[in-house]
Amino acid sequence: MSDKDLRFEPVKMEGDVALLPDTWKFNFWASAGELSRFFVELKENARLMGTKCPTCGSVYCWPRSWCHECYAECDWVEMSGKGRLTVFSRVEISLSEIQKNVPFFQGGVHLEEARYPIVAFLKPAEIDGLSAGMQMRVEFLPARERTGRTRDFFFVPDQYPGP
Amino acid sequence: MRRVAVVGVGNTPFRARHIEKTFPRLAFESVRAAFQDAGASRDDIDSVVYGIYNDFFEHCAMPDHHIHYLLGMARKPGVRVTTGGATGGYAVRAAFAEVASGLHDVVMVVGVEKVGDMANVIEMVKSITLAADPFFEAHLGASPAGSYGGAILWHMEHYGTTEEDMARVVVKNKGNARNNPDAQSPMELTVEDVLKSPMIIYPLKILDHCLNSEGAATIILASEEAAARFSRDPVWITGIGASTESGRQAERDDVGKSLFPAVRASAEAAYRMAGVTDPGTAIKVAEVYDSFSGVEICLYEEFGLCGWGEGTRFLRDGRADMGGTNPVNPSGGLIGGEHAIGATGVYQVAEIVRQIRGEAGARQVPGVKTGIAQSMGGARGAYSVTIVLEG
Repeated sequence: MSDKDLRFEPVKMEGDVALLPDTWKFNFWASAGELSRFFVELKENARLMGTKCPTCGSVYCWPRSWCHECYAECDWVEMSGKGRLTVFSRVEISLSEIQKNVPFFQGGVHLEEARYPIVAFLKPAEIDGLSAGMQMRVEFLPARERTGRTRDFFFVPDQYPGP
Repeated sequence: MRRVAVVGVGNTPFRARHIEKTFPRLAFESVRAAFQDAGASRDDIDSVVYGIYNDFFEHCAMPDHHIHYLLGMARKPGVRVTTGGATGGYAVRAAFAEVASGLHDVVMVVGVEKVGDMANVIEMVKSITLAADPFFEAHLGASPAGSYGGAILWHMEHYGTTEEDMARVVVKNKGNARNNPDAQSPMELTVEDVLKSPMIIYPLKILDHCLNSEGAATIILASEEAAARFSRDPVWITGIGASTESGRQAERDDVGKSLFPAVRASAEAAYRMAGVTDPGTAIKVAEVYDSFSGVEICLYEEFGLCGWGEGTRFLRDGRADMGGTNPVNPSGGLIGGEHAIGATGVYQVAEIVRQIRGEAGARQVPGVKTGIAQSMGGARGAYSVTIVLEG
């Protein structure tokens, strides 16, 4: 489970079989391109942004710059951050260096103005406190903890007290 | 469009680790078995389609062309298909299209996967999560189990499906695997054994999960005219349907009661092509994608083996069991038999061919004329291919 770089390790024997050690590691600076505003608003202003098709009126969050049905250019809109829980899971084993603390909760949240649900972190006390259809609201990490990624925000049951 | 026959099938045994064999060797052994089955040789093959899912598993970005050369296929066409868990199914479809269109007469499909070269299971699952939407969902630490878990919870909440029901799928499929000498994980289990196994993502425990396998499967497809050159009676692909959905975890159009709309769409297309109007009666055996135990219950409904919300009753009544009306996953499926990802969709077709030929040994379902093979992949079954086979 270590993060050791194996590229310079010698061949290891397992019985008569030689195991060739190797490590693949790549870094990226992946362009958010035409979607950049979503990440900037999230990090700088704690705003959850979507886009709206001027032709059919569909609101998309996650945002898309063109409507996949009308092929029209969409406009940016700020999302209300309110919606309903569709599905949810409690994750017991983390697969990500980014999210090491388990258990954590994830679910689908259908924002009230959006065409589709999104998947996001949930912050309930326990899974018994959640049920499909429950009204949820978005909350953001404090400014110093936000990195401009979708893990900067999470949903809580709307009946929970504010921060 | 020309008729397309399966004229040969072959596979390696499936194991968690074939440490003594490389991925080209596994591919070769399944090809050699298919040649023996068909009475075919290298010269008979006009073109090859490879089903190899993940570059990380093979530790190589273009594994197919290395295999192609080592199979002695240099200078013939070779193409790789990779569509997650539906890789094998989509590879069969690509080969089907080559034959049906008249482009080639004899096309081989080779599905292979070598997962155990990754240092550990966490590395393996991390490589799978690299399929997530890179902008919005990659940083959420989501996993394949999470995407399926939500759908299963929905089924539990709306239809009263329980963790015991899901455990029963595991008992069935691990039990069926005892009749399959190539299966990786034959086990005699009780529902209690499954319920006691460690929780991974609620409500899915470790025994509710599919296997990680190494192995390979090959089938040989031929036009009606070319099929006469081979030694076996042909089994016909009479319907093949494919569907690809959003790969985002929760983003789905409302399609009524379907929890896996890509599966439903692929099944409807395959049934339409094959002229299957009453699948519950026509489909005598099915090898389907039980990535997680609860998924199989949902699939009974998606395939129309029963009505919406009746999957749990279908299971409890024993209709999916060996000896039931529509046995599902006699091979053991992905939970008991194998899940060498790129090979799975190809192996499922090989298994249905054996069922139709009456060569499935202890796992034979009596009197099979028609069966289906179905594989899916991506977050919550974003890809699906359903194949109808008839004798």
